[in-house]
Amino acid sequence: MIKNLLSRYNFHYPKILVYMLQASEYNIRDYFIWHWRVKNFKRVEQRKHFVKTAKSLLLLAAAWLIIISIIGFAVYFLWLGALNKILFFLIIFIVPYILAYIIIIPLLIIKLIQWPIEYVIIYKARQRLKNHKAVKIAIAGSFGKTTMREILKTILSEGRKTAAPSLNYNTPIGISRFIKTLADDEEVLIFELGEYYPGDIKKLCNLVQPDMGIITGINEAHLQKFKKIERTIKTIYELADFLGDKPLYVNGENELAKNNAQSKHIIYSREGVGKLKIINQKTDLSGTSFVITNGNIEVELKTNLLGLHQIGPIAAAIDIALKIGLSFEQIKNGVSKIKSFNHRLELKTDSAGIITLDDTYNGNPDGVNAVIEFLAGLKNCRRFYVTPGLVEMGIKTEEVHKQIGKKLAEANIEKIILIKNSVTSYIEQGLRENNYKGEIVRFDDALSAFAALPHLTVKGDIVLLQNDWPDQYQ
Amino acid sequence: MIGQTNINKKNIAVIFGGQSAEHDVSIITAHIPIIQSLLAVRQFDVWPIYIAKDGSWYCDKAMNELAYFKQNNFETLLAQQKKIRILFDNGLKIIWPGIISKTVQIDVAFPAMHGTFGEDGSLMGLLRMANIPFVGCDLFASAVAMDKVLTKQVVLAEGIPVVPYVWFTKNDWQKNKDIYLKKIDELKWPLFVKPVHLGSSIAISKVKQKTELENAIEVAFHYDDKILVEESVENLIEVTLPIIGNDELQLAAIERPLNKTDFFDFSDKYLSSGGKKNSGANSHYSEIPANIDKELAKKVEEFGKKTYYTLGCSGIARIDFLINAVDKKVYVNEINTLPGSLYHHNWRKVGVSGVELVTKLVALAEDNFIQRKNINYAFNSDILKKTGGQKNQN
Repeated sequence: MIKNLLSRYNFHYPKILVYMLQASEYNIRDYFIWHWRVKNFKRVEQRKHFVKTAKSLLLLAAAWLIIISIIGFAVYFLWLGALNKILFFLIIFIVPYILAYIIIIPLLIIKLIQWPIEYVIIYKARQRLKNHKAVKIAIAGSFGKTTMREILKTILSEGRKTAAPSLNYNTPIGISRFIKTLADDEEVLIFELGEYYPGDIKKLCNLVQPDMGIITGINEAHLQKFKKIERTIKTIYELADFLGDKPLYVNGENELAKNNAQSKHIIYSREGVGKLKIINQKTDLSGTSFVITNGNIEVELKTNLLGLHQIGPIAAAIDIALKIGLSFEQIKNGVSKIKSFNHRLELKTDSAGIITLDDTYNGNPDGVNAVIEFLAGLKNCRRFYVTPGLVEMGIKTEEVHKQIGKKLAEANIEKIILIKNSVTSYIEQGLRENNYKGEIVRFDDALSAFAALPHLTVKGDIVLLQNDWPDQYQ
Repeated sequence: MIGQTNINKKNIAVIFGGQSAEHDVSIITAHIPIIQSLLAVRQFDVWPIYIAKDGSWYCDKAMNELAYFKQNNFETLLAQQKKIRILFDNGLKIIWPGIISKTVQIDVAFPAMHGTFGEDGSLMGLLRMANIPFVGCDLFASAVAMDKVLTKQVVLAEGIPVVPYVWFTKNDWQKNKDIYLKKIDELKWPLFVKPVHLGSSIAISKVKQKTELENAIEVAFHYDDKILVEESVENLIEVTLPIIGNDELQLAAIERPLNKTDFFDFSDKYLSSGGKKNSGANSHYSEIPANIDKELAKKVEEFGKKTYYTLGCSGIARIDFLINAVDKKVYVNEINTLPGSLYHHNWRKVGVSGVELVTKLVALAEDNFIQRKNINYAFNSDILKKTGGQKNQN
């Protein structure tokens, strides 16, 4: 209690506030929701730290200016005799509480200055894209966008000059900055559209002007922000509204995406897409293979990506590649070159012979189901499933996590390692209700779990790291 | 900050450091894997007892982190620590003295000390007197294994082959140098000169010419007062076999260290880890399992088990072998009653994780303790009454 109180009177407190703003991407609402939940401010910076940028340093300077001004005025009025001592100490006492709110004023001023600058950058980017001859493909969805982007980029690059923002540049300003770097001779441009609030996708479509689109799926990711799943659906389907009769691919393996698709939309899944049919799907630790048929043509394809759930997006990419004019030979090459992406079911084998599947960037229910399905198919090895659970599931939190417990129990995963927090008890409940027979090990934080893992595992074990909680959800 | 006590967990003391040439190696063994694995079990309250180079005892949970010992201001930090006291009172208690003193009753001890005062049986003697369960070999096995000559004498008596050797003390050497030089001359050269009590291959030399011999002996005497000169094995394959158990033995994989130099010396064993982190005192430059004939492997396992029984090892030990690849002769070279980092890298390869290893060792220690308790050491007699006393003046 006292520790919590004192954490506000720490020298680093102003920096922690700015860090919280920065980690919330300067979204004031997200910042306040986080701030109201924090009890001990010394424990905020756990996984990431304050990053020095012009904006963050300016805010930090403003924060100190605010503190010094308040204290300075208080001392001045005390000296004048206009303030009694009790009131003086009261003012000093509430400084950190006021600061958390007043810090928003300089932020708003910065935003006010930034807004016209950003508007010009975005406007210029939009004009440039309008005149750009490339085929523009937009990807929207609650999950799987980055994977889809990478698959498309790798395959299409076999026959066309293809470009896509390399990082998670999925906001108007991020995309505009990427557009500035274009050489203008690109033949295909791929964009991820990030959705945080209703209207986001529409805004991005206006900027990108896509010629075709892909909806990778809709689920409870970001439900905390959208409140209702219907709003998520509506927001993501803003892409369909914009495209009209232009081609839109929809993931048929995701119920919400599929159920909201119209007949003109193209459904893709591990079974095929349009006229393309897929057979002989196989997956193990060495990769995934399948045969794609188009009338009389049969092509066997192999990728390093793990899991049958990867086949659907690859099929969609193949269909787009054929539309753009790539040959099956080029496609086959492209598929074989797809690499696993950082922290997305990425396989690493260490010197002790332990296989780690790093899936720490996967924090959505569909992705989790796909991974558990993959683990269930692995034979003759001991499987460890390490997770802190998923974030931003809103009212679905309990249901989603119980479901994860159920799936893990059904897959007979030998060891479940839980990094304890508000949701892990639901996973345990799900495990218990489905007669889980393996072992559950609980850790208080991710670092102690990661430190213990080398001592829990032996050669041949498979360790799956599922999702990683950023600081705002601890 | 000494650390919080947790009443629901078993108090386990990991004892490491010590006045030994292998002080630093012991710190590594204690942390990787022992403390880290014990913490991962989550059923133990781990108390790290650090014995400094000057022999002072310290205990602070901050020492559960290996990083504590790597700090630049380590000496200063240590100087600020309270030295602990130990008390034999219905078991072993550690006490932090002071106005508000703190006492913790230790349930199990986990010695992690290499070399003198730790691995040589001294610490085990102390723990026997404290009457608590402790992990690993007991006093007798530790003391014999610490003396390479005694080891050879004991195993040879049970028909286990060892390499021909000559031994002498500093005093013997000074008085009867010629006799020993003659004895040494009868051995097949090249030879190894070894201090009898030191581990980690410290001060061992390979002698190829007579001119080098006396110098090598002088070097060895610098570290020990008992020396062993033994034949080197031709077409050498060195292998080692970690074993755990009391009566029922479990073998790890036969491991072949892939030497860089003529023999496996201190820096090979502990320093040339190729920059790999967190691998402990032994790392991955070995062949596991060793690529040797089935027949040889069978012999190694047979001699390994026999040696373990002969010395009366318990808990854990590692037997080193020398093999002549051509004539297929297998010799027991030495026994290590606390293998560096418990050879956990090897156990992991045969399916025993660090957590399983330490849990098993603690269970073995407790079994051993129960057995020891059932032996009656006390004996009631009236000898005192009958002896001496004041003589009747009448």
